[in-house]
Amino acid sequence: MTGAAVSVERLEKTLGKNRVLRGVSFQAQPGEIFGLLGPNGAGKTTTLRIICTLLSPDSGTVEVLGFDTRKAPEDVRRQVGVVTADIGVYPRLSARENIAYFAQLSGVQDGDLKRRVDAVIERLDIGSFADQRAESLSSGQKQKIAIARAIVHDPQVLMFDEPTSNLDVLASREVREFMVESKGRGKCVIFSTHVMHDAERLCDRITILHQGQVVASGATAEVRGDKRELEDAFLELVGAR
Amino acid sequence: MRAALIVYRKEVIEILRDRRTLMAIGLAALATPIVLSVISQVATKTATQTYTIGYSGDIPTGLGELLRATGLKLVPVADPAAAAKQQVDLGVAFKLGEIDEYYDPTRQGAQIADTRLQTVLGQYDAAQAAAALQNRGIDPGILTPLRIVAHPLSSPVQAASNAFLSFFLPYILITMILTGGFSAALDSTAGERERKTLESLLLTPAPRSRVLLGKIGAVTTISLVAAVAAIGSMFVALSQISLPGPSESAHISLSPVAVPVMVWVALLIGVSFSSVTLALGTLAKTFRQGQAYVTPLYFITIFPASIILFIPDFNPSLAYYLIPILNAVLVLRDAIVHNTVDWPALGVTTFSLIATGALSWFAALRLFTREALLTRS
Repeated sequence: MTGAAVSVERLEKTLGKNRVLRGVSFQAQPGEIFGLLGPNGAGKTTTLRIICTLLSPDSGTVEVLGFDTRKAPEDVRRQVGVVTADIGVYPRLSARENIAYFAQLSGVQDGDLKRRVDAVIERLDIGSFADQRAESLSSGQKQKIAIARAIVHDPQVLMFDEPTSNLDVLASREVREFMVESKGRGKCVIFSTHVMHDAERLCDRITILHQGQVVASGATAEVRGDKRELEDAFLELVGAR
Repeated sequence: MRAALIVYRKEVIEILRDRRTLMAIGLAALATPIVLSVISQVATKTATQTYTIGYSGDIPTGLGELLRATGLKLVPVADPAAAAKQQVDLGVAFKLGEIDEYYDPTRQGAQIADTRLQTVLGQYDAAQAAAALQNRGIDPGILTPLRIVAHPLSSPVQAASNAFLSFFLPYILITMILTGGFSAALDSTAGERERKTLESLLLTPAPRSRVLLGKIGAVTTISLVAAVAAIGSMFVALSQISLPGPSESAHISLSPVAVPVMVWVALLIGVSFSSVTLALGTLAKTFRQGQAYVTPLYFITIFPASIILFIPDFNPSLAYYLIPILNAVLVLRDAIVHNTVDWPALGVTTFSLIATGALSWFAALRLFTREALLTRS
């Protein structure tokens, strides 16, 4: 599809003896939240890692804003911000230092660094703990740092891989609100989750993966079909009911 | 290079905020003076300590004064052989024209007392022989037909100082460079994986070679800081210790030639072994696993080098200078003891350590760019 922010075509990947992806294809557009759903081991994280160039596909292609992940991995990484469930931060750096470090490595120039870092600190309401060492912060506060470092270079594509799985209710809601806000700013948001309730509320379109294959793809309402909830459709598709 | 500098600066800040690394450097700075102080006190005590000789029979005229002046105390005993086993350091039975000596060579005190006794008896015999000859009108000079006149080319005090430094300095320098950077290297590789920050770091557009370069630079810096702290404290401690000698120059000091050689060798070891430890740390999933990989490296490298320190006259061929760490010890020893630079040996050492660093660098980079780095965790 022309104008897609992320275009994945016939992706294949084997890790060890495990054939993780079997011809996965989908496209995600700017200004939408695209859900990548599936049970554990379906291949969601592997797909996201290939999109952000951490892994190479065995075959198939991935383009991010027109950049091929194999030919221009550094250009792709400039366009992508990733938030995962593993909210690892540098414990001996402050929240501000953590964010500034990733901003610099993502190419933000020194003259623009303070403005960018201050902007994300304000946007994510980090100010009250910005100068505390990360080792003393709560999981929710660390997740905010993780989001801040992923967006500080203003990427056009944001990927969230099970971002709320280690968070409490309040912190989870803030992450969901941030995804909606990013969509409103015209970003392409890819949301990987196995929480159907979240996906149904947030995603404009979804793709469901099962055992490395796409088993359903389309607008969220289309995939839900005549079922009462998306979860019912999901369970039927993955053969659990 | 901007990315490498960014990583370098962040790593150094993190390391300097890490209690483990700071404690390692602090302990190194404290341990060296303490060890040297203990060695100095033991040596002084040994040199001035009085040892006891249990004797029977009549002491030859004049010998008693000589023995007492040499720190040997004479105590009359009934059975010198039995006394030498427990009561005294040495047993002596004075007989007419003969002295029976009893001592246990397994006891250090007995060995020192024996050496002193032999020295005193040699002097006493020579004096007695000279006096007897003089009484007969014969020149005592016939006892030494070939008289040795020694002309030492350097100060005996300086020679002792060099021997001391050639033993301790390479060992402390290399130990501190190797161990000072261990914690930092593991923290920036296995620790990064354990804290789950590695994936985020690799997601940045910064080339991985630059990221690795920044980490190697930081680990090298910390290694050298640890070495400088240990050596600096060593020289402060040595400035308080005097070797037996007539003047102020008896203090231990490093020759001008040895200083640049030491700096060059320290840089080479720092860079090359930072690459080695980073490569090993990259293999590990956790800090603790990294320690298990890195600790044997220390023993593998320092053990042969330590053995060489106990062979002062070991004159190796150039091939020995290809062995990392051992070569550094040999080059440093040459510079300290002989106050000269053996350029071919230094050249081979430089080549060897650069090659070690380059191989480790490529190994670390290969490990750092493979997919298993993420999928194994």
